[in-house]
Amino acid sequence: MFAAICRIQWKASVTALALLAALGFMVPLLTVQQAGFSAGDRRGWDLIGMLSTVEATGTLFPVLAVILGLTLAVGAWSADHQGEHVYALTLPVPRWHYVLLRFGAGLLLIVPVAVAVGAGCAVALGSLDLPTGLRTYGGAVTLRFALAATVSYAATFALAAGTKRTAAAVLAGLMTLIALALILETFGVSPAVVERVMNAVFARPGPFEVLVGPWAVIGV
Amino acid sequence: MSYAIETHELQYRAGKTFELGPLNLRVPAGAIYGFLGPNGSGKTTTIRLCLGLLRAGRGGVRVLGHDVPSQAPEMFARVGYVPERPHLYPTLTVREALALHGAFHRRWDPAAAADLLDTFRLEGDTRIGRLSKGETGKLLMLLALAQRPDLLVLDEPTDGLDPVVRRDVLMALIDFVSESGATVFISSHLVHELERICDWVGVMDRGRLVAEVPMHSFKNGIKRLRVRNAPAQAGDPPFVLLARERGDGASGTEVWVVRGWQPTMRQYFEGIGAVLQDVVDLDLEEGFVELLRTARVPGGA
Amino acid sequence: MFDDIDPRNPIPLYDQIAARIRLAVASGDLVEGDSLPSVRQLAARLRINPATVVQAYRALEREGFVEMRQGSGTYVRNVSTDRRRQTRDDQAARLARDLLAEAARLGIAGTEVARALQREMGARAQ
Repeated sequence: MFAAICRIQWKASVTALALLAALGFMVPLLTVQQAGFSAGDRRGWDLIGMLSTVEATGTLFPVLAVILGLTLAVGAWSADHQGEHVYALTLPVPRWHYVLLRFGAGLLLIVPVAVAVGAGCAVALGSLDLPTGLRTYGGAVTLRFALAATVSYAATFALAAGTKRTAAAVLAGLMTLIALALILETFGVSPAVVERVMNAVFARPGPFEVLVGPWAVIGV
Repeated sequence: MSYAIETHELQYRAGKTFELGPLNLRVPAGAIYGFLGPNGSGKTTTIRLCLGLLRAGRGGVRVLGHDVPSQAPEMFARVGYVPERPHLYPTLTVREALALHGAFHRRWDPAAAADLLDTFRLEGDTRIGRLSKGETGKLLMLLALAQRPDLLVLDEPTDGLDPVVRRDVLMALIDFVSESGATVFISSHLVHELERICDWVGVMDRGRLVAEVPMHSFKNGIKRLRVRNAPAQAGDPPFVLLARERGDGASGTEVWVVRGWQPTMRQYFEGIGAVLQDVVDLDLEEGFVELLRTARVPGGA
Repeated sequence: MFDDIDPRNPIPLYDQIAARIRLAVASGDLVEGDSLPSVRQLAARLRINPATVVQAYRALEREGFVEMRQGSGTYVRNVSTDRRRQTRDDQAARLARDLLAEAARLGIAGTEVARALQREMGARAQ
């Protein structure tokens, strides 16, 4: 059963995956090239500037991770939504089992893209001759990428699994909150509660902490 | 008698106007049970309730001995379902749909599936979203049959299909039933089609089960009598008088729609000084229409 | 042979099927040893309930026209000439009965029908 679900989910996402894998492979290469680490003469290196470029380009990683997660989650459920879940609900497996199969299949599909990122890091960073004090973090970034994609996938998956009505309701709720926060800010009312929520979600040990912070493949 | 489907005081409400039940459906195991009723009478809703796709307001459902919805997964392993509206994943090819279905159903028979693919002349590489209505209908039946179920629940499986496709689909169904003895629960408003194959009939009207009888007694049950010179007050007939109308033709001729007619009841007419001119058998469709007509009149039997 | 069976006819389907087979045997179209279509084949071809076909075959078996052999099919038995003639007589009687009943419904006397029959038979002989 799992193999069958994997196969159809692969089919649904293969083009997007190929694209994201290609991009994922290129980001480390791009980072190294933009920062200038591939240029020859080390003596002219402005390390501080180069490292900040590395960090800046590095923000592409979480963006890619979130898109990957989103794509896989939507791909997991789009077919079911079209038939209003009737097919899945009439299969001889409990609902939670089916949901798990879908979830697992999508999770598995993160791997090839993460591997592409890892390969890109290996290629980009492998032949570098860095000055002492600087280290490469290709492995760590790849792992972080996979984790970020997983978190993004899980969050969107939960949303996409429900009916279109609940998904719309949740999105509408989020939009309202964001709008509310913006309005309050323009009036100079800084709601501490917004900050607290942001902290809870985006700072450790919040679930989305993995997305923020530096994504540097080269650092100290 | 064991039942493939039984509901107990099943009730369901939707919005302010749609109300179903209390319904006590009994589909005998091994029967080919035709579920008839006009549009909007609640046939599809009943089917959805029986399969756990809708939650009942009150009452219970057992399908093949399994409680629905608590034991729905076990039930679905033995039930082939053809819904009113196609529910398959439109981006899959026919072949992929078969593979997916087969992966989930333990009793899947790949040889039978291949056979039916051939019989139905379906191309394996066509995307489901691109299939014609007839091809979709055939595919849905194929999937349900290749599962080797103990019960087939078919919601208007031939609706909108041309006669050739309808024949192919029904032939495949009957072929399977002949060898497996599976129960069939088929809802349709194509009464003539059901007339040939069903041995039980259940009639829905406005959310209630108006009749549930073996086919032969349904067909024989309601008759039209041509009666002449009947008195205005004809008390205590041995049959159930559903309706009494003026007939066309000679004045004094009436048409009586009755239920439970026996030939020996001719004497009754002699007794009231009337002449029984004719006993007309009704086919399933006419019987169905008369049943509904009389069921809707307040005070109708 | 079974093309015109009619579910709307008050005569039950199984009876209509059995009647056709009976007559085929009576007329010699089916002889001893001939096999009837399998239940599955006939039911599917006619799109009727297989139980109906079984019912027809069983009725014929009881009357001695066929025998149902487990696992191999249903075969026509030897039916005596007398029996065959009897079957044809029965069918003719049934036709006559139906014809006269229909005539009565239309208000036509039996004698008028008989006269018409004679004329018709004469015309056919030519």
